[in-house]
Amino acid sequence: MATTVAAPRAAGPKHKYESGIWSWLATTDHKRIGQLYLYTALAWFLVGGIEAFIIRLQLYGPNGRIVSAETYNQLFTMHGTTMIFMAIMPLSAAFFNFLVPLQIGARDVAFPRLNAFSYWVFLAGSIFMNVSWLFHAAPDGGWFAYAPLNTRVYSPGLNMDFWVIGLQILGLSSLAAGFNFITTIINMRAPGMHFMRMPVFTWATFVTQFLIVLSFPFITVAVTFLLFDRFFGTNFYEIAAGADPLLWQHLFWLFGHPEVYILILPAFGLVSEVLPTFSRKPLFGYPVMVYSLILIAFLGFGVWAHHMFAVGMGPIADSIFGITTMLIAIPTGVKIFNWLGTMWGGSLRFTTPMLFAIGLVSLFTIGGISGVMHSSPPSDLQQTDSYFVVAHFHYVLFGGSMMGLFAGIYYYFPKITGRLMSETLGKWHFWLTFIGMNLTFFPMHFAGLDGMPRRIWQYDANQGWDVDNHISTIGAAILVVATLIFVINLVRSRRSGARAGNDPWGAPTIEWSIPSPPPAYNYATIPTVRSRYPMWDMKAPELTASVPHSPAGEKEVTVKVGGATAGHIETPADTQLNAENAHPSAHELGIVMPTPTIKPLLATLGLCVSFFGLIWHRHVPIIILGGVIFVAALYAWLLTPLEPEH
Amino acid sequence: MTGHHRARRLYHAALTTVFALGLAACSDVPNTIFGAHSEFGHAEDRLTYLLLTLGGLVFVLVEGLLLFVVLKFRARPGNPTPKQTHGNTTLEVTWTLIPALILAFIAVPTVRTIFQTQEKAPADALQVEVIGHQWWWEFRYPQYKVTTANELYLPVGRTVSFTLQTNDVIHSFWIPQLGGKRDLVHRNKPNYLWFTPESSFVWNGFCAEYCGTSHSNMRFRVFTVPQQEFEAYIAHQQSGPAFPVAQATPADTAKGKGAAPVAAQQVAQTTPAAPGPSENTGTWPHDKLPAWSVPNTPLPAGLTMTAEEGDAARGAQLFKASPCIACHTIQGVSPGTIGPNLTHVGSRTTIGGGLYPNDLKHLAMWIKDAPMMKPGVIMPAMGKDAPQVPGAPPKMGQYTDQQIADIAAYLSSLK
Repeated sequence: MATTVAAPRAAGPKHKYESGIWSWLATTDHKRIGQLYLYTALAWFLVGGIEAFIIRLQLYGPNGRIVSAETYNQLFTMHGTTMIFMAIMPLSAAFFNFLVPLQIGARDVAFPRLNAFSYWVFLAGSIFMNVSWLFHAAPDGGWFAYAPLNTRVYSPGLNMDFWVIGLQILGLSSLAAGFNFITTIINMRAPGMHFMRMPVFTWATFVTQFLIVLSFPFITVAVTFLLFDRFFGTNFYEIAAGADPLLWQHLFWLFGHPEVYILILPAFGLVSEVLPTFSRKPLFGYPVMVYSLILIAFLGFGVWAHHMFAVGMGPIADSIFGITTMLIAIPTGVKIFNWLGTMWGGSLRFTTPMLFAIGLVSLFTIGGISGVMHSSPPSDLQQTDSYFVVAHFHYVLFGGSMMGLFAGIYYYFPKITGRLMSETLGKWHFWLTFIGMNLTFFPMHFAGLDGMPRRIWQYDANQGWDVDNHISTIGAAILVVATLIFVINLVRSRRSGARAGNDPWGAPTIEWSIPSPPPAYNYATIPTVRSRYPMWDMKAPELTASVPHSPAGEKEVTVKVGGATAGHIETPADTQLNAENAHPSAHELGIVMPTPTIKPLLATLGLCVSFFGLIWHRHVPIIILGGVIFVAALYAWLLTPLEPEH
Repeated sequence: MTGHHRARRLYHAALTTVFALGLAACSDVPNTIFGAHSEFGHAEDRLTYLLLTLGGLVFVLVEGLLLFVVLKFRARPGNPTPKQTHGNTTLEVTWTLIPALILAFIAVPTVRTIFQTQEKAPADALQVEVIGHQWWWEFRYPQYKVTTANELYLPVGRTVSFTLQTNDVIHSFWIPQLGGKRDLVHRNKPNYLWFTPESSFVWNGFCAEYCGTSHSNMRFRVFTVPQQEFEAYIAHQQSGPAFPVAQATPADTAKGKGAAPVAAQQVAQTTPAAPGPSENTGTWPHDKLPAWSVPNTPLPAGLTMTAEEGDAARGAQLFKASPCIACHTIQGVSPGTIGPNLTHVGSRTTIGGGLYPNDLKHLAMWIKDAPMMKPGVIMPAMGKDAPQVPGAPPKMGQYTDQQIADIAAYLSSLK
């Protein structure tokens, strides 16, 4: 039910920000920013994947000689850093941006310019971090960068300078986005969209933003200390000056463990959207799914020291952190069972997004089980820092986060682009990913239990690890093929995929009521929401007959779009007749949208100049110049009117 | 003895196979964590078995259910609308409580084991100080005033209590078959770990915490031997170097460097009583090493050694005047403590942090150009025509291949 008003587009001269490259550089449209996040993050996903594949080639057999020890250490450091901060987090951010305003019935996020700023800062930070490769000085201290190895004494080169500054920049982006989305979700929900009607992905976003806002300060502080140590000679981590090396570990993991949930909860949210649609059943136990999200996030702050069972914290701390870690398995297990409950008795359609969602359920379970194994400190002492842990967190992050994100990409691609991705290629992608993923990571369990330590550049023959590593590398090669298929699918479908229509899947939530891709203003009339599943209320009321927060049997149409008359429900077939952009412009509808502006990008450039000056021989004039640009851009930003003048 | 071990190892391999869901077709798993050879390892294993069993059950249950759901409820043309359920309190409470129960089942033995294994070690335990260096291991027996490197001898049946410290960054001490692991975090505040080895064999040890460039090359060997052999080993290690160097006196050593660190002083104190090399070195016979404890690291391309044979006496003279003495202790000869103690280096099976077998060829090549042999190592190249590795410390010697072979022969003779 896009719009039935096929009005001509507004005539008149176009502003330069309305088309071409400028329309992207100056955009404040959450959907465009979401796409920028999506494609940037996918590009970094490929880079991180290439790094991973080189690592696997090096480890194919004993005493591999593909890369040097120094390069290897840079590769695994950058693989971890890239996948966490530049691939999975921003892929989630792509969905936060694109989806949250659509799901809550808003026209944009609360602070559209801050949103643009978040993206540009993310882009700058990720480029900054990777520029290090050109200087043969990529970070090499591990993504965890333990003190005192991260200090100037033990890492004298530029490598960790790039890391510490790059991470600082990336953290800024996440924090800004975090506050933005909390504000958006609290304040900008459509009438009737009360909390227990929010789509579960929006819930996952909401919870994740609290995790970000509460955990990133720890890493910000830790990294600021390190930055001061490295550049200004302070002694936060200098052992010779009496520092305690565990300070870093506590600060890092106080961030690092909530970070794990920052990476996985959005994927949980996406899967909770996909499973009901393709099971033709409401989500099983919606309230429990929401509570378990909150509980996971809450408990996630009390388990950080389970990364440190080998550092000698003593029996009391070991016991407490062991038990809190076990506790977190309960809400996580509940989610798995509730997803099974959602599918139970349903009418399952195995589309590509559904396959990836089921993939998450099956693979994350394995990661969850090995996670419980780590919660028992004496058992963990044999597992920590071995390949068993590598297997564990790849089941969580690849089998969990990435599978969920792929499900989300296939599911929402039609909404983002108006076109469907190829199901044939999608299924090839899924099955090769599923097989390759298990071949790559399952043998790592064995390698770890057979005593193979992590982060080793070479291993000796006769250690009993050869077969496991052979299989892992072959699996990685399959993953490379799978990913190539995905990229081909993405590029081809974007150009020439089948037209999707508003609601190609028969989905229950309101973002499917508007055209694909949605008009700049999303909803011509802000919808009034009376149900958890408004689209099903309209199209298939029998599906929501017994769902709380849904008006059972109520025939009234609750979503109004594009000035369309209530009651007319357009089928996808109808929509296909309406070409893209057939909907009226915001101007015609009298909707005031935020003005595009280049200032967030300029402010980011100022930051970049400053940080460049810092890393480039601590060049004070350049640092100050960057600061001046930043402040000037902010000033101009504040003086730019929020909305076009009438 | 060997037969017994073989049986045990087969048994452990079998257990691994069973518990690891039957994929371990690999014939030999010399570093497996299963079937450990100490009470500490057993305590860890018992929990791991429990966790694997329960985890296996959960795995079968969840994946089985998933498979069932996927096969049973697939959409077919003409399917009626599925029966709508939005939740079921009883079910949801059940699948909250059952995991909670399972976890309680894990938590109780976990906490018990934590407290058991972290008790104070018995007072009569053998004390071993472990000091991590980038990238090698220093082992000291304070009760016997013995300092060695990268090879650790432990008596079977006697509890050994480790105090673990680092000289630089964080390392982690891990012998998978004897139980693990514990980080070396501080310089002056040790971590502790104790266990009692149960059987006599050779075990591989690893650094398990990423510690910089050559983290993967920070390996060590552990030899658990019967008590008498251990005593013989200690007695031999306490003795002076095997090669008689009459010129050196204990006084030289003591004066060595201004701030002569503890190890050197200990050596100096024991020197007067040194009875000279004993007949029985107590070391593990080098021809009876299991395959996995013999390193296979290939030699770096571009490093050659032309001299084959060296003269130990000439080597001894060369060594005394070489820069080597600044970093390495040879009891009665040199005072350095930056690198490993070499007093009995000839009795060890490996060099370079477990990276190469300890033979004349490898030793000579190591001396000639250590930075090529092991990335990041701080020992500079010594050979006249040794290639300078970028980023490595500047070359400190201009020795010919023949001179290096002499020094290697000398060091090799220090059984």
